[in-house]
Amino acid sequence: MYNYEWDRLKTWLDQYGAIDESIQSPQEITRLDLSGNNLRSLPESIGILSHLLVLNLSNNKLNSLPEVMKNLSRLSNLDIRRNSFTQLPDILEHIPLRSLNASSNKISDISVLAQCPSLRVLDLSSNLLENIDNVFAPDNELRTLNVSSNYIKDMKNAFSSLTKIVRLNLNGNLITEIPHAIGVLGEIEELDITDNRLQTIDEAFFALDVERVDLSSNRLSSLHLHSLESLEEIILDENTFTSLSIDESFAPYLKEFSCESCGLKEFLLPASNALELLCYSCNEIQTVPDAIEKYVHLSWLDIDGNNIEDLPDSLANLSYLNTLYVNGNPLSEKSKKIIAIRNPEICDMNMKTGITIQKAKESDLSQMAELLSVLFAIETDFDIDFDKQYAGIKQLYEYEGVDLLVAKDEYIVVGMITMQRLISSAEGGFVGQIEDLVVKEEYRKMGIGSRLINKMRSIAQEYGYKRIQLAADVDNANALQFYNRRGFHKTHLSIYHYIVS
Amino acid sequence: MKDKQEILKMEICECGEKNVAEAIEIFQNTSLPFKKAKKLVTECNKSCCRAALMKIYDMKQFGRFDYDEIAFVIEQRLERLKRLSEGV
Repeated sequence: MYNYEWDRLKTWLDQYGAIDESIQSPQEITRLDLSGNNLRSLPESIGILSHLLVLNLSNNKLNSLPEVMKNLSRLSNLDIRRNSFTQLPDILEHIPLRSLNASSNKISDISVLAQCPSLRVLDLSSNLLENIDNVFAPDNELRTLNVSSNYIKDMKNAFSSLTKIVRLNLNGNLITEIPHAIGVLGEIEELDITDNRLQTIDEAFFALDVERVDLSSNRLSSLHLHSLESLEEIILDENTFTSLSIDESFAPYLKEFSCESCGLKEFLLPASNALELLCYSCNEIQTVPDAIEKYVHLSWLDIDGNNIEDLPDSLANLSYLNTLYVNGNPLSEKSKKIIAIRNPEICDMNMKTGITIQKAKESDLSQMAELLSVLFAIETDFDIDFDKQYAGIKQLYEYEGVDLLVAKDEYIVVGMITMQRLISSAEGGFVGQIEDLVVKEEYRKMGIGSRLINKMRSIAQEYGYKRIQLAADVDNANALQFYNRRGFHKTHLSIYHYIVS
Repeated sequence: MKDKQEILKMEICECGEKNVAEAIEIFQNTSLPFKKAKKLVTECNKSCCRAALMKIYDMKQFGRFDYDEIAFVIEQRLERLKRLSEGV
């Protein structure tokens, strides 16, 4: 039977490319992406999508939702971020939403939430909220709440309805205190209150089972850290402490402690022996205590920008320490020797500054050809032959659709990467083939490879390439890890060579 | 809607007097973690432009810049500053 409403809706959806041609009935549509279409309203016929589970309406100009959406009885995930809503639409009380993203609107009225008990994930960041007191349903299921970048001044009456909350983001509000009421957050694992105006923290906070806390960029001047038995990570950066102390009872399983730019004169030692990251960057510390050696798992130490002359001998015993930032200290020669003994993989003291990434010039080609030898020494499929390498790199330089970047330390080429334009029938357009990424041995662990590939990726974006691809030697574990970390994923294809002549 | 060139010229950090293009250039030329790379742009410890800079830094890491998103975050911040200066 002909369905007029469906026919109209299908035509409307088609113009936004929201459904493919194979869709024959409204019941087949479970996910719909209508983002970024400058929509000011939705058609009434959207109410016939009774099987819709996920609806993305972000980046439009909507300020209301049609009443018929109450028929979307299966809709569990709604995204209306970056629209023009000034209040959360009343219609939401009729939809059993589990996840709602309403960030970056101009919402100041969220009273409908009292009728939305099934919400588990709610993002109201970057709106005009001034308080969230008593707005949630009494027995709500909220687990994740993001109300960052609003204008909330206090949370005294807000916590009582957030008893099941696991992740709470209050970043970028105007909150001046963590009140006693926070004690009801019995399930909280992550708490972010950065960039507020916090001056006081109630004792109830220290009884929480929270695992990660970020209190950076506040106005805390006095703090005695204790208890917080489940805490694994705490960030206190950019508070100006006149008094900061750490009790022996504080966070026995703490792994990360950061207190950057806090005006500290003393290097405090949290009791936890599980510490992996410690940051006291940009303080006024003069001495690193010998007892730092108790942190046998410490892998990241950041003490740059202090007044430290002498490092303790025990630093050399920290066998897991692979990242060390110490620049900006008047380090003695003995301290430098201690660092040399420990020899962390990444150390700003060893990093060379002034290395630039630039397009290769003809005068660089000879050095680039030499650098390829470093690569081919690792890749067993290739033999080192300078003449061939030079001929190849010169041909690439002169060929249209090829980009060659070099990393240079003054006039010396210390790293390189190439990208050739190919046409992909699968992608229906140009793709970039990355090759010859190599950095001189003595310039590794300084992020030069990352800079080369980042620059090449942005060039590919400029050209509108659909994809970039590369091949890596299966035995080159460092390279494989490097590409994985930068978002490249392994395909099911293998490369075959056939020698023509 | 602003075009890419206009967005690249938008001021992102008053303290360091940097525009979007300069911030991108600085981030592309460093391998430092965000907290340290941010200071190369801002030359200060303040957090006022942190959100916008973090977006750019993340985009640099992923190798793809969403200029509309950058413009949106900057404009949003300016609107917030205006509201705060009006005494919200």
